[in-house]
Amino acid sequence: MATSSAETSRAVRDAATAASSAQRRGTLRRHVNLTRELAVSQFKLKYTGSVLGYVWSLVKPMMLFGIMYVIFAKLFHLDKGTTNFILQLLLAIVLWTFFVETTISAMNCIAANGNMIRKAYFPRVVLVISSTLSALMTFAINLTLIVAIAAPLGRLSFGVRTLAMLPLLLELYLLILGLSLLLSSLFVFYRDVGHIWDITLQVLIYGSAVVYPISTVPEHLRALVLMNPMAQIIEDARHALVTPDVLWSAQIMGARYAVPLGLTAIAVVLGFFVFRRLTPRFAEYL
Amino acid sequence: MTPAIVCEGVSKRFRIPLDRSTTLKYRATHPRSTSRYHDFFALQDISFEVPQGEFIGIIGHNGSGKSTLLKILSRIYTHDTGTVQINGNVSPFLELGVGFNPELTARENVYLNGAVLGLTHAELDQRIDGIIEFAELEQFVDQKLKNYSSGMQVRLAFSVAIQADAQILLMDEVLAVGDARFQEKCFDVFARYKREGKTVVLVTHDIGSVNLYCDRALLLDHGHLHADGPPGEVTALYRRMMGSVSEAEDTAGTGEHGDRWGTREVEIIATRLLDIDGGTHRVFSAGAPMIVEVDYTVHGDSVEDFLCVLRFDRADGLTLGAPESTMARLSMVRQLPGTSGTLRYKVDALPLLSASYTLTVALHDQHRGHTYDQIERVQSFRVIDEKSRPGLVELGGTWEAQPR
Repeated sequence: MATSSAETSRAVRDAATAASSAQRRGTLRRHVNLTRELAVSQFKLKYTGSVLGYVWSLVKPMMLFGIMYVIFAKLFHLDKGTTNFILQLLLAIVLWTFFVETTISAMNCIAANGNMIRKAYFPRVVLVISSTLSALMTFAINLTLIVAIAAPLGRLSFGVRTLAMLPLLLELYLLILGLSLLLSSLFVFYRDVGHIWDITLQVLIYGSAVVYPISTVPEHLRALVLMNPMAQIIEDARHALVTPDVLWSAQIMGARYAVPLGLTAIAVVLGFFVFRRLTPRFAEYL
Repeated sequence: MTPAIVCEGVSKRFRIPLDRSTTLKYRATHPRSTSRYHDFFALQDISFEVPQGEFIGIIGHNGSGKSTLLKILSRIYTHDTGTVQINGNVSPFLELGVGFNPELTARENVYLNGAVLGLTHAELDQRIDGIIEFAELEQFVDQKLKNYSSGMQVRLAFSVAIQADAQILLMDEVLAVGDARFQEKCFDVFARYKREGKTVVLVTHDIGSVNLYCDRALLLDHGHLHADGPPGEVTALYRRMMGSVSEAEDTAGTGEHGDRWGTREVEIIATRLLDIDGGTHRVFSAGAPMIVEVDYTVHGDSVEDFLCVLRFDRADGLTLGAPESTMARLSMVRQLPGTSGTLRYKVDALPLLSASYTLTVALHDQHRGHTYDQIERVQSFRVIDEKSRPGLVELGGTWEAQPR
């Protein structure tokens, strides 16, 4: 009798566990679904209501590219001795624009959705992820367009090394996600973060080997510049996609290659940690 | 069966900064400024259980903590102490159309708002036609939401909201918006939830709907759980607690809801709509008894007799009936100055079906020569037909069949 009641209670408990794990799966599916809906509608919203729509997201990096090209190639002749400087610069600017625009729009995504946060429950991280994903869509189109235009002109050189683009893009996305989590949660409480990030970005563009090839940096400083994850990602992407003449940053840095990777990992971990700590107070503060 | 909701010793404290400093400079120059807060206890030691399938109402005055409690149950706020355990899917219903974006079309907004409510794309694919049809927006489905009237937006939001099929629904006075017809729909949905045996937590000011729908009510007062019991008792306690405020609300309309005129030789002091037990209501069930009470005082010297007319109108102005009586017929002939009393009109079973109604009270002299006091739309009330029958009145006829 005693055993049978114990068995029954275990069966009940098992059923309850099964039900709750099914419920959890359902919950996860709903959150993934919400992330997708938000990302898609945000992508649509960015381009509805303007005549040129998507074209604008191409015009901005092209403008920056044009200015930088005139200044650094035509005035300062930084392109001397650099293989395919134009595409190196273009690729760097597309990667950089993705980094800048995604972090800035993600920084606002919590503060701008105060009503949703106060009136509905869902994991708040959904907002950050959907914001970065919608920017990722724009970036994917931009990158594809540039490759599609440049490849037939023989300006790109593909090889096995091109496959390195996949881990590099993953690293870039994780770096952006980590920073976005950090910035968006801090921005709710301190609006200064917006200005600080603006200024940081202005400085960082020159510290990330965007407008110059790393080969123009004095040799003893190269490894130092490449410790910046953005510089490392841009250099490696140039090697993978544009020309093998650009060295892997690992070839330049040796063991110090762990620094940019470690910084990216720290950004992700710190981002999630800070975001998690601050999440409970979002609804009260917004 | 495990209860749907278990709250044990839940407290919530809001830290209200004395001077809200959102700059880093202040943080840096005042490193030990964290104590510059004023603690406000929105909820203190709240414990209750909600069994599955119960319809529970939470009432309390403004700032009593009832919305905070609902937000804690919705997991929007985190509580400071105690435990909250919820068994089942929850759908918080704190506002209609959360996530709506005016730049997107109705269709796109349905998917977005539906996702916020926890519905997947596939589920919405199946239901979208029904949603649009229920909102009566078939011709406008691919128009941007910003081109919609606010009424259309509410209709759309509402028809998405009722799709949420969680077992536990948390609602915050969603009913407060919309016109009379829209509120009917809300009440119909309540009736449906109740039939389907869902657990519903309703935060509201409307004592009438608590009495009508809830199996149980909680009364919050300054963050404490003041009462927990049958809705009739708890709402009565709430009314007593509100004291004069409630009295003023019951007789609100005196000059507020509509126009008032007359010589005031006989004055309407107060009006009330009561159920059979003497509780005041704004919501009645079809077929339930209703009592109208009118308190009056005679001021004029020349008043011998007077006529009281109660005019019942549907919200759109259609008059349903205007029962009248003179005091003489009630064998109260001599009306001396200073006399006061209460007139009572009783309907044994309301023959009305779901709609909103207003009551106009008028006191005339017995020949209707002039008006002593008349207040248009002094009371408004709603009739709910739980069977959702179509039409305006219950004719009360009987059926017979004669097989040949």
